Amino acid sequence: MSLPVNTPPEKKGRVLVAMSGGVDSSAAAALLVEQGYDVIGVTMQVWDYSSCSIEEGLGTCCSSSDVDDARSVADTLGIPFYVINCEEEFKEKVIDPFVSEYMKGRTPLPCVNCNTYLKFDHLIEKMEELQCDYLATGHYARIDQNQIVTSTDDWKDQTYFLFTIPAFIIPKLLFPIGDMKKPDVRIYAEQRNLVVARKKDSTGICFVGDKGYDQFIQTNYPDSPFTKGVIKQFPTGEVLANHNGIHHFTYGQRKGLGFSSEHPMYVVKVDAETGDVWVGEETHLFRNAMIVERCQWHSAPQPGQVLRVKIRYAHKGGMAHLRVQDDGRYLVEFEEPQRAITPGQAAVVYDGDRLLGGGWIL
Amino acid sequence: MLLCSVQKRPVYLDYNATSPIHPEIKNLLPEWAGIWGNPSSIHSHGREAKRILREARQAFADLIGAHPMELIFTSGGSEANNTVIQGLLRSELAHTRKHIISTRLEHPSVLRTLEFAESQGFQVSYLTIQRDGKIDLEEYKNLLSENTLLVTVMAANNETGHIFPISKLSALAKKVGALFHSDAVQTMGRMAFNVDTTGVDFASFSGHKFYALKGVGVLYTRRGNSLPNLILGGGQERGRRAGTENLLAIASLGYMAKKLAVCDLHRDTMIVLRDHFEARMLEEIPGVAITGREGKRLPNTSSLVIEGVSGESLLMSLDVKGYSVSTGAACSSGNPEPSHVLLAMGLSESEAQGSLRVSLGWLTTTEEVNGLVDTLKPIVSHLRALSEKKLAEACV
Repeated sequence: MSLPVNTPPEKKGRVLVAMSGGVDSSAAAALLVEQGYDVIGVTMQVWDYSSCSIEEGLGTCCSSSDVDDARSVADTLGIPFYVINCEEEFKEKVIDPFVSEYMKGRTPLPCVNCNTYLKFDHLIEKMEELQCDYLATGHYARIDQNQIVTSTDDWKDQTYFLFTIPAFIIPKLLFPIGDMKKPDVRIYAEQRNLVVARKKDSTGICFVGDKGYDQFIQTNYPDSPFTKGVIKQFPTGEVLANHNGIHHFTYGQRKGLGFSSEHPMYVVKVDAETGDVWVGEETHLFRNAMIVERCQWHSAPQPGQVLRVKIRYAHKGGMAHLRVQDDGRYLVEFEEPQRAITPGQAAVVYDGDRLLGGGWIL
Repeated sequence: MLLCSVQKRPVYLDYNATSPIHPEIKNLLPEWAGIWGNPSSIHSHGREAKRILREARQAFADLIGAHPMELIFTSGGSEANNTVIQGLLRSELAHTRKHIISTRLEHPSVLRTLEFAESQGFQVSYLTIQRDGKIDLEEYKNLLSENTLLVTVMAANNETGHIFPISKLSALAKKVGALFHSDAVQTMGRMAFNVDTTGVDFASFSGHKFYALKGVGVLYTRRGNSLPNLILGGGQERGRRAGTENLLAIASLGYMAKKLAVCDLHRDTMIVLRDHFEARMLEEIPGVAITGREGKRLPNTSSLVIEGVSGESLLMSLDVKGYSVSTGAACSSGNPEPSHVLLAMGLSESEAQGSLRVSLGWLTTTEEVNGLVDTLKPIVSHLRALSEKKLAEACV
């Protein structure tokens, strides 16, 4: 008679999980614990909140109350938890470029820089230091055969922010909630008694707060070269108003232009050289083509391929042909005109649900 | 479900941050908790509570050679430090004396309060401290003047363990009529401190650094020195510190004071273990330096600089393996800036980043200390290999 063998739980390796204090990364950490990984939680402190009022810190990603939430989740899960101070790096790699992009009349995308230079660089380093096998985040994204693919939740898919991840680190990444839809993530968090289960989704940019990015720039970078100028009607060139700096404007913006008109008017172009902000009717916002620079590919587009290109996070993507130019930039030609192609945002390229890579809109 | 690492209890080697509660105190707590009256009440419940206060005060006074009436119970070391410095800023003496002398090695509760003093028009001079923890007495003498209100220098440093010559410093201060305060929080349980041999006017202590409960401290104020109150209110502590007393913690502090008076502080054991630890570290791990090893130090404290690795990474890696140590002061962890103490002693920023503080206690064993070295060795090699790899990649 053979005795039943008591197999020990499979040892799955050690994971460093980036915890922001939001419901997604909290659920991700809980899932990993449940799946039998040896889990260590970490939060990057990226901004000195001691200078903010308490109210300002609430409601966005990674504010100081979020660090407390992450800590509380880690306690519930019984995992070690550390706060890593990344304030200096975050300022240098994320906030300074964010401000200088606005000064150039572009609309920056700080979350990609945070991923490039902090999450998937600094934390990879930490992961190796702590002898972990994997780095996990609460992104809505999946990995299939060492390639990043879009999440099951189309609405929340966050692969747009992940195009700069170098291919060689993908085997070390885990996206535990990539197979889930947001409501299910909340239900799961609720079941696991995580304090953040009903926490409001973070909206906007973590370090900016409720007062808006232009207020943030004026408060924290008062010596910036604010380019003042005039608002002109496109295409006539008629001067409609003065403005206090091009950093107040982004392509497609309709509100807060500082004048009234019969028809709805939109920002169609920001000229950093002259300080001119051009406004026009919505039709002028549509364009067929754009140039994309500083491209990074997991797999470069092949000539003749028709690929889906997203021009902002909330964009569903348009089908396009991509052609590499002599200078390494790509000319992207859409099959349908796209609304408000905005310099400074990322153009992210997909083949079906597979993330191929992307670059920055010129 | 703590899967990570530790099956056995983590090893605690961070006694300068706080100490465990003495096992005998743990047993006595239920009995003390039965005495819950307000010590200010005149009825029997109050009297019973007042007795605890009186006995604890007497025991601690005996320990440091003070009169019981010279002690004020506070919430801890920070409050004691604030009470002295802020009080003196508002004292009569401060009308004519506008100068304070201190060091940059002090606890933040002293440093921040001195910044406040500067904002109130006082001038603060900071003494130069050498890498071996020595104070330049000539510089000190030259700074002292009829204008000096207060000299505040810690008795022993929490990070490096260096002991400062308080009796010499206080005698020189007395010559110019300046008052002398010493933050003596790190002395108790590690070395004796006597108010007469040191000659201090004020000294601060904290219960949780010597096996008592958290939330109680003592401020010694030499008779004859008047000190305006920090906390106004009721007449507790003979009107010198308002607020109903933290009876349970005070009882534990009194109990430990009695113990400290008769025991040898485990001094020799701690020195042997500390020296053994340092010898092994120096011998077995290349690129290790011990800050101010040649100076006069507490028996339990070792401050190391480990070349090529960050203290933060060491701390986390050790924690994962079940060892609790520190990179510097407990208050500054979580915000890992280079230690202000090490910078003030002339260490470079990168040296200060790679610092590790190991502080032993009465319960520390040889196995624990050996375990730390054995655990540290592969961690240091691993971290160094990573940073070399990173450097090599950066050069390509």
